[in-house]
Amino acid sequence: MNRFRHLVMGRPNERMIVDYRDDLRLFPTRAKRAWLLFLVLAWIFLPAVWDNAPFTILSEHGVSLNTLAYAAVFSIAAIGLNLLTGYTGQVSLGHSVFLAVGAYFTAYAGSTWDMPMLLWLVLAPALGWIVGALVGPFALRLRGNYLVVVTLGLVFIGEHIFRNWKSVTGGSTGTSAATVPVSVGPLDARNLEIFGREFDEDRAFFWLTWALVALVAWLVKNIVRTRPGRALQAVRDRDIAAEIIGIDVGVAGYKTQAFAWSAAIAALAGALYAPLQLFIGPQDFNLLISIQFIAMIILGGMGTVYGSIIGALIITAMPRFIEGYSDGELPLLGRLIPGDGLPAVAAKTTDDGLITVSSLNVVIYGLLIAVFLLVEHRGLAGIWVRIRNYFSTWPFSY
Amino acid sequence: MSTDALLRFEDVTLRFGGVTALHEVSFEVEPGELFAVIGPNGAGKTSIFNCLNAVYRPSHGTITFDGKPVIGSKPTEVARMGVARTFQNLGLFANLNVIDNLMLGRHLLMKSGFVSGALWFGRARREEIHHRAEVEKIIDFLELQAYRYQPVGMLPYGIQKRIELGRALSMEPKLLLLDEPVAGMNLEETEDMARYILEIRNDLKIAMILVEHDMHMVMDIADRVMALNFGEPLATGSPQDVQNDPHVIAAYLGEAS
Ligand SMILES: Nc1ncnc2c1ncn2[C@@H]1O[C@H](COP(=O)(O)OP(=O)(O)OP(=O)(O)O)[C@@H](O)[C@H]1O
Ligand SMILES: [Mg+2]
Repeated sequence: MNRFRHLVMGRPNERMIVDYRDDLRLFPTRAKRAWLLFLVLAWIFLPAVWDNAPFTILSEHGVSLNTLAYAAVFSIAAIGLNLLTGYTGQVSLGHSVFLAVGAYFTAYAGSTWDMPMLLWLVLAPALGWIVGALVGPFALRLRGNYLVVVTLGLVFIGEHIFRNWKSVTGGSTGTSAATVPVSVGPLDARNLEIFGREFDEDRAFFWLTWALVALVAWLVKNIVRTRPGRALQAVRDRDIAAEIIGIDVGVAGYKTQAFAWSAAIAALAGALYAPLQLFIGPQDFNLLISIQFIAMIILGGMGTVYGSIIGALIITAMPRFIEGYSDGELPLLGRLIPGDGLPAVAAKTTDDGLITVSSLNVVIYGLLIAVFLLVEHRGLAGIWVRIRNYFSTWPFSY
Repeated sequence: MSTDALLRFEDVTLRFGGVTALHEVSFEVEPGELFAVIGPNGAGKTSIFNCLNAVYRPSHGTITFDGKPVIGSKPTEVARMGVARTFQNLGLFANLNVIDNLMLGRHLLMKSGFVSGALWFGRARREEIHHRAEVEKIIDFLELQAYRYQPVGMLPYGIQKRIELGRALSMEPKLLLLDEPVAGMNLEETEDMARYILEIRNDLKIAMILVEHDMHMVMDIADRVMALNFGEPLATGSPQDVQNDPHVIAAYLGEAS
């Protein structure tokens, strides 16, 4: 082994890497391991302190623990989309449909068959995988705008099915997921008791959903740093060269597999979405949801796992926050035009105002997508890399 | 015709609409041989590689590699037979670093799929460690130590050419196709590249087809040469013979005038 040992350039206090096992660690430096510990502690204790200062800035303005659980669910979906779009270079507007597949499956299987959580957590992604593998081949010969149009078609087909397959989806009214089992052994998210202490549903779902974010992030991070993930990125960067080194881009090849795994992950998010939302209907899986997923990965950073999570957190929390301010006691946006008392942002469509909260959100997604694509196409992750590079070479930065 | 040729082109004809890119091209490459293809712009040199890689499908003729038919196979199958290639205009994965590009060369030598990759512990991890060590040998050989973790798209052109050669070598091929490996390089880089090519032939004993515009390098290092013009083979033989062939001289003089 000796002749392959090498030294990696870095700050002087970093350990010398002497073995490939060290080289391949996910958390190679002390700083990164400290981060990991911090995140684990945040996961455990955040629910206890969320309603106290300094978190009240968020928790009193619409961003509740429940919002954070939604952000977790969307993080999972965004990681899935990033595997397809960021790592493989295939755009998809159809991810709301894969979310729906997992959600309707869980709502149905949980309510009618009382399917245990550990089982639907596996079967929902499996079903999503199959649907993704069926859709994937249609995307093979298509690129860019054509692919966008085909996946857009998927959203409309999906919506048609959701509204008409009433025995499963409940049609336009939707279906309940309130009785879906959400327990593992003695731990039940709807009635959580640990060492005799009771915790409410919001806390339980926070722990459940974010634990699964961690699991999915770990799995996907592993995929992208090993053989299959490198193949996806090769296909993204140059598909002819990829074929010539033996990477299969045919019907059963890597593009299709990326679709299948991406859909499986989105379906897992959907499976969690159903019991979290309690009641699901076609409006939960429309085009706007797909566009939100795209906004999440563009904002957070294409081709990064942590960027997907940051993007999902911001895109999920921001509307609640704006809403929280526009009808709260601090009308920051609610009174953009002071004096004549015309609130610029109405909380509901029936209120007066120039623009409703939901249409303001659409405008903001659109702006975020446009601005990031034009200014920093690597998203917040790209900005972070630049800041880090600046300080790691300080004082020799230029 | 010898029976133990590694590669055999027989009467290969390739057309694009009215253009005949290759016309009844026949040649053989022996195991371990350094075979060069020369010819002016548009002579059909790159087309030979594209036929061999099964990217283009000739309308006529047969291509046999290692006893197996190439025409009708897929590019990935040709890679599996043991054919590796560098591109005239670089075919690297620009956003990935040097290690990942070279590891991608070992794609067919590795096995992990999505499931074992995702679970990491066990096969995927063992495989990564093993092939990472193999890749390091190539990094040493091509003197790429300074660039390991840099995205290749940001590196100088000459280095990228060397990385591409490294990716092809990582495949542990039986035949290496080099499409103008020194085009656009300065004298120093050209000499380095010639040295690597000779080491590949002498130490690794990998057969090569070298496509070059420039006669001089080819005459120095090739075992045999084929000269092409407008898709027609003009002469095939030792560098000396080809250089002195009247058709070849005429074609090159024609280009110069
Ligand atoms: N995909 C294609 N479609 C149409 N014509 C093509 C295609 N590929 C090659 N040709 C034509 O075939 C002929 C041979 O091209 P080829 O690229 O093989 O030449 P070359 O010898 O590699 O030239 P150069 O030295 O410029 O690289 C040219 O006339 C070219 O225009
Ligand atoms: Mg060429």
